[in-house]
Amino acid sequence: MSTEDQKSTDVNLTRRKVLTGATGVVGAVGAGFMAVPFLGSWMPSERAKAAGAPVNADVSRLQPGQMLTVSWRGKPVWVVRRTPEMLKILTENVTELRDPDSNESIQPDYSKNAFRSINEEFLVVVGICTHLGCAPLYRPAVGSPDMQEGWKGGFFCPCHGSRFDLAGRVAKSVPAPTNLVIPPYHFRTESIIRVGEDPTEGGVA
Amino acid sequence: MSNQTNESSSGKSSLLGWFDERYPVSSTWNKHVGEYYAPKNFNFWYFFGSLALIVLVNQIVTGIWLTMSYVPTNAGAFSSVEYIMRDVEWGWLLRYLHSTGASAFFIVIYLHMMRALLYGSYKKPRELVWVIGMLLFLVLMAEAFMGYLLPWGQMSFWGAQVIISLFGAIPVIGPDLALWIRGDFVISEVTLNRFFALHVIALPLVLVILVFMHLVALHHVGSNNPDGIEIKKLKDNKGIPLDGIRFHPYYSVKDAMGAVFFFILFALVLFYAPEGGGYFIEAPNFEPANPLKTPDHIVPVWYFTPFYAILRAVPDKFLGVVAMGAAVVILFALPWLDRCKVKSIRYRGNSYKVLLTILVISFFVLGFLGTQPSTPLYTKLAQIFTALYFMFFLVLPFTSANEKTKPVPERVT
Amino acid sequence: MKKILWIASLLLLPLTINVQAAGGYSIELESANNNLRDQESLKRGAVLFSNYCMACHSLKYMRYNRVARDLGWSDAEVISDMAHGLDTVTDNVMTRMQDGVALDVLGTKVPDLSLMARLKGDDYIYTFLRAYHQDDQGEWNNKVLKGTAMPNVLEGIERHSTPEEYAEAARDITNFLAYAGEPSKLQRLDLGWKVIAFLLVLLLLLYLLKKEYWRDIKH
Repeated sequence: MSTEDQKSTDVNLTRRKVLTGATGVVGAVGAGFMAVPFLGSWMPSERAKAAGAPVNADVSRLQPGQMLTVSWRGKPVWVVRRTPEMLKILTENVTELRDPDSNESIQPDYSKNAFRSINEEFLVVVGICTHLGCAPLYRPAVGSPDMQEGWKGGFFCPCHGSRFDLAGRVAKSVPAPTNLVIPPYHFRTESIIRVGEDPTEGGVA
Repeated sequence: MSNQTNESSSGKSSLLGWFDERYPVSSTWNKHVGEYYAPKNFNFWYFFGSLALIVLVNQIVTGIWLTMSYVPTNAGAFSSVEYIMRDVEWGWLLRYLHSTGASAFFIVIYLHMMRALLYGSYKKPRELVWVIGMLLFLVLMAEAFMGYLLPWGQMSFWGAQVIISLFGAIPVIGPDLALWIRGDFVISEVTLNRFFALHVIALPLVLVILVFMHLVALHHVGSNNPDGIEIKKLKDNKGIPLDGIRFHPYYSVKDAMGAVFFFILFALVLFYAPEGGGYFIEAPNFEPANPLKTPDHIVPVWYFTPFYAILRAVPDKFLGVVAMGAAVVILFALPWLDRCKVKSIRYRGNSYKVLLTILVISFFVLGFLGTQPSTPLYTKLAQIFTALYFMFFLVLPFTSANEKTKPVPERVT
Repeated sequence: MKKILWIASLLLLPLTINVQAAGGYSIELESANNNLRDQESLKRGAVLFSNYCMACHSLKYMRYNRVARDLGWSDAEVISDMAHGLDTVTDNVMTRMQDGVALDVLGTKVPDLSLMARLKGDDYIYTFLRAYHQDDQGEWNNKVLKGTAMPNVLEGIERHSTPEEYAEAARDITNFLAYAGEPSKLQRLDLGWKVIAFLLVLLLLLYLLKKEYWRDIKH
């Protein structure tokens, strides 16, 4: 007979089970706590957050019809100054669009409107195709020579041929599923757009 | 044994049975845990094996996480450590877990080795367990040394400078060898890169393989115990050692308890003294490496200081290196230097007790002297205790051959 | 159990001896007596640092928004009080001196102070700031760091305020630099006892479990 087999009759199996269970639960909780720093350290670091901080786009010298690009969180953000003609087209092409009211698309509430903007003159949009992440081309002119017939001005993605109008709205029957993403932004002054930051309550929206 | 295995695999659960037919799940578990019979009289000294394993896991996991943010370049190394300490979420905790873990590793390993010295765990039939363990110790020292360069502080840089220069003391090939290790004329980004590669993958891999072999060797011959009795000599009719108990649940529960006790001590240091009073993280290392300015007082990290003191005790540069190397290498020969048949200090003669006491005191004193600037008095002391350190190994073969031992009991106490 | 405690105390022994204390300075360092939990002191220290130190020194591993968060300032406050509106909150705390000017004017590079408190200790900084004196020729020197290129920047405070206010200014700057040396220190101290309390509960359970299982074992 080895030592351990001489189990005394008074072994309390319930007590043993309860203790094992309690230790297991507390131990598992401890393991859970231990996982927190390891998982947490994968969140964006302060440096990444600093690099992803809001950026300013100065539109004071942007001519009607022109576009400028700023980098926000490593992504291109386009600011287009739209002409009255462009805006007029945007009111007429609604039937050609997959999601004209931007119900399926990503934008802040304050730019979920006909021109997808705070100030209809300026379109602020993330320049990444919602299909597979390529950078679409800016072709503002009606009938741009390298575009297909009937082009009314907008963005064209060379990767898979997705088309967007000058409000970043996607055309019907192209691969891209939704409109281009509008980032949070607001007007700091009339000519400074702050990209990456929502308008403050009561501020200039 | 094999019958038992089949029973448990076919009877209990069909899923386990499916695996057992294809992979030795149950038999491996039984051989090393479930039916590994360990002596029932393990005491406090027997915690350090499992603790070493836990610390190794901690070092590997936190090390992997640190690698995600650390940059092994001249410009990036120091600042990436501060980046981890400040900008990475929880980075400070991961870094302190790793730096405190390094010191904890050596504390645990030194106590683990002490256990072997107390109870003769290196003796027949466990010579290879000891030799593999010594290889582990050697690789661990290399791993720690290379890791210490990575924060790229003043102490990292100059500590590495001093240690690599030691290789330069070897006649004929020395200077070229030191140059080859550095890959540059001074310690530079080239050195940093290769130390990084060795520290994060090559040496940890060797450590893990050696730990595996250490355990395989141990489980092949069985564990020693504080009485130094071979429990396999006396078995019951089922072939189970009379004084053996299954590792699981008895020692798994006991080791878990020891581990949590250790975690508490570890947390005390980690949260309330991560610098270890300037021993675990040395203050000069908060200044970036500067090849043009030596700190006033270069000290290796505490776990190297006993050997560093031996190095400095010898007035000749080359012989100093030899003495330092010998202080480690001579431990490999211990199973053959100690010729006493009795294992445990409980039943050994006074000569061994005296010798071991001298060895331990010498190790502590040398460890202290290694942290101090060398003054004539300290150098003299270092020489005396270096002599005493080696005396243990040189006198032991003679005293142990016909030591006056006490009778060893049949069964463990 | 006695043995365990003995070994444990042996292991913790080296921690009680501080290697830093061995540094040989020509004068005894004064105790800074700074308190990291005193946010008002830290805020005063940050402003003093901005006004008296940042002309030459940087804290390149600190960000303004981190300072704001830890010291209880809003982003706008840290920029107005500490950066004088010159930087944005995500910027690092850099010196206002142009690159290379220090070498021309002071003949040396100016050290970054992010880790000075960890390198030298709080008491060193406190004593150093207060250790300026004029010799017979009227030349300034420092008792802690002889021949330092750094001028006695707190001279104005020393001259125009009470000794207590002067000491407080030095203490506040020291406190702020101690904070900057390890901004997560309070987080570390506050988390530690919770972890240990949890581990004590787990230890108790494991002790009971171990005792329960080991009742099987006959000695």
